[in-house]
Amino acid sequence: MVIKMNFEYSEKDENFRKEVKDWLNETLPKSLSEKVKKYQRLTKEDYEIFMNNLTAKGWLAWHWPKEYGGTGWNAIEKHIFEEEIIKASAPRIVPFGVNMLGPVLIEFGTEEQKNYYLPRILSNEDWWAQGYSEPGAGSDLASLKTTAIDKGDHYLVNGQKTWTTLGHHADKIFCLVKTDLNAKPQLGISFLLIDMDTPGVEVKPIITLDGEHEVNEVWFTNVKVPKKNIVGKENEGWTYAKYLLTFERTGIAGVPYSKSALNHLKMISKRSLKNGKPLIDDPIFSSEIAELEIDLLAMEIFNLRTVSAAAEGKAPGMESSLLKIKGTLVRQKTTELLRKALGPQALPYLPEQFDEGWNEMPVGPSYAGPIAKQYFNMRKISIYGGSNEIQKNIVAKASFGL
Amino acid sequence: MDFTLSEERKMLQETVGKFFNSNYKNLDKRSENVNLPEGYSKEFWKESSDLGVLSALVSPKFGGLGGSGEDISIIFELVGKSLCVEPFLSSAVLSSTVLSSISNPRIDLITDIIEGNLLMSFAHCEMNNRYEDHYIETNAYLKNDEWNINGTKSFVMNGDDASKIIVSARINGDINDRDGIGLFLVDNDQTLKRPYNTIDGYRSTELTFENLKGELLAKDENALKCIIKANSAGALALSAEALGIMQICFDLTLDYLKTRKQFGKSIGAFQSIQHRMVDMMLEIEQVKSAVMLASSTFETDDLTRDKNISAAKNLVGRVGKLIAEETIQLHGGIAMTWEYSAAHYAKRLIMIDHLMGDSDYHRDRFKLLSNF
Repeated sequence: MVIKMNFEYSEKDENFRKEVKDWLNETLPKSLSEKVKKYQRLTKEDYEIFMNNLTAKGWLAWHWPKEYGGTGWNAIEKHIFEEEIIKASAPRIVPFGVNMLGPVLIEFGTEEQKNYYLPRILSNEDWWAQGYSEPGAGSDLASLKTTAIDKGDHYLVNGQKTWTTLGHHADKIFCLVKTDLNAKPQLGISFLLIDMDTPGVEVKPIITLDGEHEVNEVWFTNVKVPKKNIVGKENEGWTYAKYLLTFERTGIAGVPYSKSALNHLKMISKRSLKNGKPLIDDPIFSSEIAELEIDLLAMEIFNLRTVSAAAEGKAPGMESSLLKIKGTLVRQKTTELLRKALGPQALPYLPEQFDEGWNEMPVGPSYAGPIAKQYFNMRKISIYGGSNEIQKNIVAKASFGL
Repeated sequence: MDFTLSEERKMLQETVGKFFNSNYKNLDKRSENVNLPEGYSKEFWKESSDLGVLSALVSPKFGGLGGSGEDISIIFELVGKSLCVEPFLSSAVLSSTVLSSISNPRIDLITDIIEGNLLMSFAHCEMNNRYEDHYIETNAYLKNDEWNINGTKSFVMNGDDASKIIVSARINGDINDRDGIGLFLVDNDQTLKRPYNTIDGYRSTELTFENLKGELLAKDENALKCIIKANSAGALALSAEALGIMQICFDLTLDYLKTRKQFGKSIGAFQSIQHRMVDMMLEIEQVKSAVMLASSTFETDDLTRDKNISAAKNLVGRVGKLIAEETIQLHGGIAMTWEYSAAHYAKRLIMIDHLMGDSDYHRDRFKLLSNF
């Protein structure tokens, strides 16, 4: 008489999962997944090997509709795909072109822009960067100051962008720029596509607290940008930027990352010793792990509920923000416990060990090297993509009616 | 994947919700029930039975119409929302779970329970066994083919009004042995009773037995299995009840933030308060997810059932404290008063962590069951 709630994937979904898994098994080079597992530095080529494989398979544009060369997958399929590529320790799919700019061009670009840029994104010919944040415009993004002045046939761009992830590899950058200096902050912004080769564009590395070079400053000094490079209408860029930010992100909670980190944590806690016994036998430490695991278990169901509703066509609203907050807290907690599990073994910092081909003896166990560095690196996830405080503002505004 | 309730369940939820609401309109009504001689309303209890609320808690195999994890969760979420003090847990969940899990299920008694003709309770807790399934001091011995039970059981919910009691007692071995436990059915008219109210408005009793005659229902492995299952079912019910309470606490607090003005504006306009409300909302979603998972695996193997129930009850303990304390803090002084409902919701939410295993107990059980 009673129909039960069903927490299982359908047979079709399970078949799809197997297809993704098998494909990754066949095509992802072991040397590459090993590098990812060991947190070694990835070169531009490393990313491209994986992304070119995806292109060949037709899976790169996993958020695009079919008619533009995308997969047309529903939210559950996207979720499965993302879970499997993370489980396989593949490099991340660099999102700026394919997951961010692509959907904006599909929605707001001209035919000419679509015909030119989309195939180049699909073939990985262009490496895109995102030019949003500025030194004075972080959470208050609309207060940005980079200007693009109308000079008839071109815009003249001056200003500075920052936190530009992998911008040192980029061929092109999509930027939010001020085109009406007198309008209210949100109203005078335009969405502009800029070639990194243009004279006046300069990329300067930012070395982060973990000693790594992932993000950059991008400076614009009298950069001439053709007027056809504007996306949509002048002064309406804020709308497109918001569209991009709210674009359905099934993986926002990072459940598979936290799951694999939790397994890693348990493994290390079994090997680390306290009073000659495995650390995991220490009731206080293992209790911290257990409550983290319970939080993760609940979050996984929360995430699946949201994914499943999205597959039915219900766009996630405040759920995305809530999952972003919880997802980052859980993931950061895994890095904290990993760091604590190592004790003094977390101290040695040998930056050269993250280069390919390093074959000296590590200090302590081989898994210890990246742990503290990862902990510091992961502080970023509650800051970027709309800080957790901003997410709380969004939820409060959208759902409380205060 | 499907996370939505079936049509039948939605109807159950709606009907029972309306019924509870109309009977528990406000706190005065609850206080009235609390102050009745039995500590609850017999009239409301009978009506609940007539409406099928009790049979929804029991599987069709044993004469009920529901009994799945989802059924228990739906009913208890509503019990929590209305803060009902009737013996849903003691009689309809704990007692009927034991009666249906023994080798020869007692459908006769279960039928009487769900028809509202028989009130039973499960006397397992003792002053010193905390939340353990097996640590039992009360003992039973066989003499002239009759079982004689001696000892004292504590915190027996509705133990004053119940006419039959299921008692766990040691038939051999040490207090802490997992083996050697028996479950007995006794008539409650021969017991020595010390009833009292609990701080959250429920009725509980100390029951003392002196050579009380009992009927053996189960022993050894089967008895322990029954105790574990009853306690797990109870923990699931309480988790769902807590979820219902949390939602009410959140709504009451949000309403209050809009009403209460200080410094010339509603206090909900302050960001520090908004952010705390988001934290509450997020954690309630987490609890909801954990309760859904525990409900959906209630009828699978014992290990999965107990692991997911422990995950839910541990989270309920932690989040319950957050929600109860934040509800009081964000309300300010008014939530410190007896006459305001939020205080009673907060009290029940906190005390749920003192029943059927607290967050520490269930965290440790989760560890054990997950092979830490």
